Amino acid sequence: MSSGNGAAPGPPPGSGVVPALGDAALLLRAEGVTKNYGPSIVLRGLDLQIARGEVLALVGDNGAGKSTFIKILSGFHAPTSGTLYWEGRATVLTSPTQARALGIETVYQDLALVNDLTVAQNMFLGREPIKRVLGVLPLTDAKAMRLRTREFLDQVGIRLASVDSLVRDLSGGQRQSIAVARAMQSQPKLLIMDEPLAALGVREGAHVLDLVQEIRRRREVSIILIVHNYSQIFQVCDRINFLFAGEIVLDVATSAITEEELIRMVKAGLGAQAAARPAGSGS
Amino acid sequence: MKNLTAAAPAPVPAGRPPVRPGLGDRLKVLIRYPETGITAVAIVIAIVFEALNNAFLSSEVPVLLASTAQYGLIAVGEAMLMITGEIDLSAAKIYSTTPFFAFYLSAAGVPWPAAVPLALVGAAGIGWVNGFITVRLGVPSLIATLGMLFLLNGAILTVSHSQPARTPESFINVLLGSDQQNAGTGISQIAAFLWLVAIALAFAVVLRRTRFGLHTIAVGSNLLAARELGIRTQRTKILNFVLMAVLAGFAGIIEACASGSIDPSAGDNTLTLYAIASAVIGGTSLFGGSGTVIGALIGAFVVASLNDGLPLVGAQAGFADVPLGIAIVVAMILNIKLTALRVRQV
Repeated sequence: MSSGNGAAPGPPPGSGVVPALGDAALLLRAEGVTKNYGPSIVLRGLDLQIARGEVLALVGDNGAGKSTFIKILSGFHAPTSGTLYWEGRATVLTSPTQARALGIETVYQDLALVNDLTVAQNMFLGREPIKRVLGVLPLTDAKAMRLRTREFLDQVGIRLASVDSLVRDLSGGQRQSIAVARAMQSQPKLLIMDEPLAALGVREGAHVLDLVQEIRRRREVSIILIVHNYSQIFQVCDRINFLFAGEIVLDVATSAITEEELIRMVKAGLGAQAAARPAGSGS
Repeated sequence: MKNLTAAAPAPVPAGRPPVRPGLGDRLKVLIRYPETGITAVAIVIAIVFEALNNAFLSSEVPVLLASTAQYGLIAVGEAMLMITGEIDLSAAKIYSTTPFFAFYLSAAGVPWPAAVPLALVGAAGIGWVNGFITVRLGVPSLIATLGMLFLLNGAILTVSHSQPARTPESFINVLLGSDQQNAGTGISQIAAFLWLVAIALAFAVVLRRTRFGLHTIAVGSNLLAARELGIRTQRTKILNFVLMAVLAGFAGIIEACASGSIDPSAGDNTLTLYAIASAVIGGTSLFGGSGTVIGALIGAFVVASLNDGLPLVGAQAGFADVPLGIAIVVAMILNIKLTALRVRQV
């Protein structure tokens, strides 16, 4: 890790608890992760860690390697080298299904929603509950899917006319909320959100941020949030990791830096500076 | 997440008080079903033909239903495959090849009742090859199956020396539409149609109520999303190619049993095109993701009605392709427009 003190997550507001970075507190640690696509090197020894219940902002320019790293965490791509430690154990993620089984849920930028299926069908896509009709025929349990979708959306405060609506017919904010709700319903340990606010209006974005705030307040789920808007980072994140040319070059608690300082550093060519000094030293 | 309840915004009361839907609302509900349009068209066609020729429904039904079954069995497979975003142009050739598989197995000593299912396994193999070339080797299905079309055509004409063979006699042939041992009962004439109805209903359930069916829709609607969610997209597509081929092969076996002969030229390529037309006018989109198996069945009835019915009411043979051509394009336009209308309603 290129970080110093800044690696420690800031105290959750109001909780008074500072998560220690012992093995028990650590949910995920990536060590020296590299990824090459043929001759092109996308990740060059990325080190990152996230504690249980922590919200980590992963920022960086387009092409810095954010999406590639997320695809590795989601089990889509194998790293070229490096190790992922999940709950203290070295883990090789071989498929999205395995990542999900471990408790890693990802809300992709494209939301991974299927327009031609209903909200309820989308909520359970890939892990539909099955009931055996006449003891043999494995049919999806449509009633249970509808019921559980309705219950879950009520819980997270998402309002929809019907869970039988086709996703094609929903607004951008509703679609985003459905994608987040789907990721949360399996009670993941780590939720990865790839630019969840990019395509949303102010009001819809605020609702999604409220959703993230609520998840964070409970401190049950760690979140890696890829987001470009710095004020949104300071609203909901404990810590910022800045990715530049395939490496984390800055690792700092949001409590140790102000938004203005962060913007100034980025403008001043953060990549080169941060590489030359201990990251996480704040302003 | 269970604890979220406490801090989440107050739950919204589910639903609105029940209001008795008016006629307008009911029509709007009907628009949601892609089968609505084709069902209306089928009813209008039946009424018009019956008005023009009183004997149409009474005397022509068995012929009409037999043709419907031929188009429909393949159309069901094409509809499923088109929902995944693929298409099979070799269906008619699988239709003509499969009975020959059974025939040669029978000639080699395999009892006909065993040769038929084994031949369907052979058809499945052809479908698997189509799927493998499309999905694993990245060849567009239009090209992969076009190649298969010519390959099968050439192979079967060569092997059979372009000569038809006699369908071996067996008790199972009656179940498959033969009237050899069942003359006059009439059941044989609609056996193929009954198979179609049973198979279409089964596939309608498969499409909407099984994991495989939902994954079929997902793969065609948003392939990337399906992959991201861990759905085995390649397997789903290949399985649909296999099912397509088995249905085409089964239609061929039924034709062989009904006609008593196995004809290498039976699977004319227009059969594939009629089947695709049936699926399209039945409400299946060529863009993938949306479609209906029941619509394909009704679409097959409409295609058969135009083909068999128009000559009966005085039209020249071959004229049926004119309204059919128009129907295909109009159906596609309606599909696009109705989808837009539905989105505006919500």
